[in-house]
Parts: sequence; structure tokens; C-alpha cells
Amino acid sequence: MNDPSKMKHDCSNQKECLQLLQAILDGEATQAQKEHFMKEHLDSCMPCYQNYHLEVAIRDLLKKKCTREAPQELIESIKKQIEQNLRA
Amino acid sequence: MEEEIIKNNYTDAQKSRIFDQEFMPHINAMYNFAYRLTLDRDDAKDLLQDTYLKAYRFIDSFQEGTNAKAWLFRILKNSFINDYRKKSKEPAKVDYQEVETYYNSEDVDRQITPDLRVESLSNMIGDEISNALNALDVDFRTVIILCDLEGFKYEEMAKILDIPIGTVRSRLHRARNLLKEKLSEYAKSMGYKTA
Repeated sequence: MNDPSKMKHDCSNQKECLQLLQAILDGEATQAQKEHFMKEHLDSCMPCYQNYHLEVAIRDLLKKKCTREAPQELIESIKKQIEQNLRA
Repeated sequence: MEEEIIKNNYTDAQKSRIFDQEFMPHINAMYNFAYRLTLDRDDAKDLLQDTYLKAYRFIDSFQEGTNAKAWLFRILKNSFINDYRKKSKEPAKVDYQEVETYYNSEDVDRQITPDLRVESLSNMIGDEISNALNALDVDFRTVIILCDLEGFKYEEMAKILDIPIGTVRSRLHRARNLLKEKLSEYAKSMGYKTA
């Protein structure tokens, strides 16, 4: 991270930047967009730098906390029904 | 978004192999999707079971080598809309157009300032994020699940949801703003400074 005191504390394009950084994290941005934003903008703009880390943290938390496995007996029951279908 | 449906004529052995190797590996992701849509364990079980039986019944229209996960998610989403949404505990059918117009208005963006901090998220070790996600309107919840949990591309999401790609993008953006809003409410109630 660059020296925070040298970063700007207001972003004139915050809405567009947020959309762009989400596209980058979603793997939907072009290489050029990605390079410009990640290498040039992020190091000099505090709000975008914070937004970036917040987006990453939310995604990590979602992955960690919002998944669950199918109950084993449900899996078995589905398999059994398909086998019966095959034999029918 | 009509796609040409090529009918295959798989043998029983092929059907069985496709089912085991292409469909079953997604069962946990599918269960999670079913649960997040219905918000009810029993409904989620029924929805998952119905979806897998449908997938088997329509297996001849599945093209081997294409994205089985997206194909399955689309069936599950359609089953949910047709069979469960009506009877679920969701508030009476929202006029979606109205919701979308509201959330697309500039006002919402102005209200949503990034006052949530990474540090307050790291304190959310319980069900806060899960509750925040579940509290979103089902259409917003869905895009977050598909993108952030399941890693679908915008184009795949457009096909799963039968909506244009531009709508995927804007709905996702709104959904994330709303999720942050919920999370910052939690952060405030937990007593962490958010700004």
C-alpha cells in the first residue's frame, strides 16, 4: 500500500469506480480496465482502496458463512429414485 | 432467450453416467440455492428433489460437454418460480418492475455511502451475513448467490434467469448495495463504528 497521506480522499467517479471494481472481481472487466484500475487508480484513491477491500471481505464472508451441504439422506433418496426410474 | 434444443437419445447407461458424473457433483450448491430461495429446510428438500427428478426426465435435452451446473440451476430457478414462489412465505407478489425502478433511482446511490468497514465485518462471526442475505428480496438474493457464491459469469446468469445481461449487471450492483446497507445496520447494532 502506498503512503496513505499521499492518497486522495475523494473520488470524483466513485459510483463508476465501484461498478468497475465489482466487474474486475467478477472477472468481467477487460485486461486494460483491470490494469489501469488496479495499478494506477487503487494506489492513489483512498475511497476506492477501501471499497476494494470491503468488496473482497464481503465475498470471503459470504463464501465462508452462506453455504451449506445437502443432507446425506436427501442425496441417498434422490439417488434411489433415479435408480428406480432407470429400472422402470 | 430461446435456445435450440437438440434432443439426444441417451442409453440408460449413458443417462446413469451423466447423472452421476455431471449432475450429482453440484448437489450441495443446488441444495444451498434451494434453501436460500425458499428459506425453509423442508421446501428446500422438496425443491431439490423435484429439480433432480426433472433433470433426469429431461436429460435428453442436456448436451454433454455444456455447462451442467448452469443447466441445473436454471431448472431449479424455474421450478421455484412455478411451484414454490406462490406458496412460500415471501410477501405477496411484489411488483418487480416497481422495485427495480426504485432501486435504480439515483436516490438510493446517494443514500448508500460506503460507511461499512472491513474491521466490523471481521467481527461478524455468527449468522449476520447469512441473515443479511436472507433478508434481501429474492431477486436480489439470487444474483448474489449466483455470482458471489457460485461464480457464474454474467452471461450464464442471464441465461439462468432469462433476463438481459445489462439487467444482471444493474441488479447485482443494487443487490450488493442493499447487502452492505444491511451489514452496516448490523455493525451499528453491534456497536462498531462504521464511519
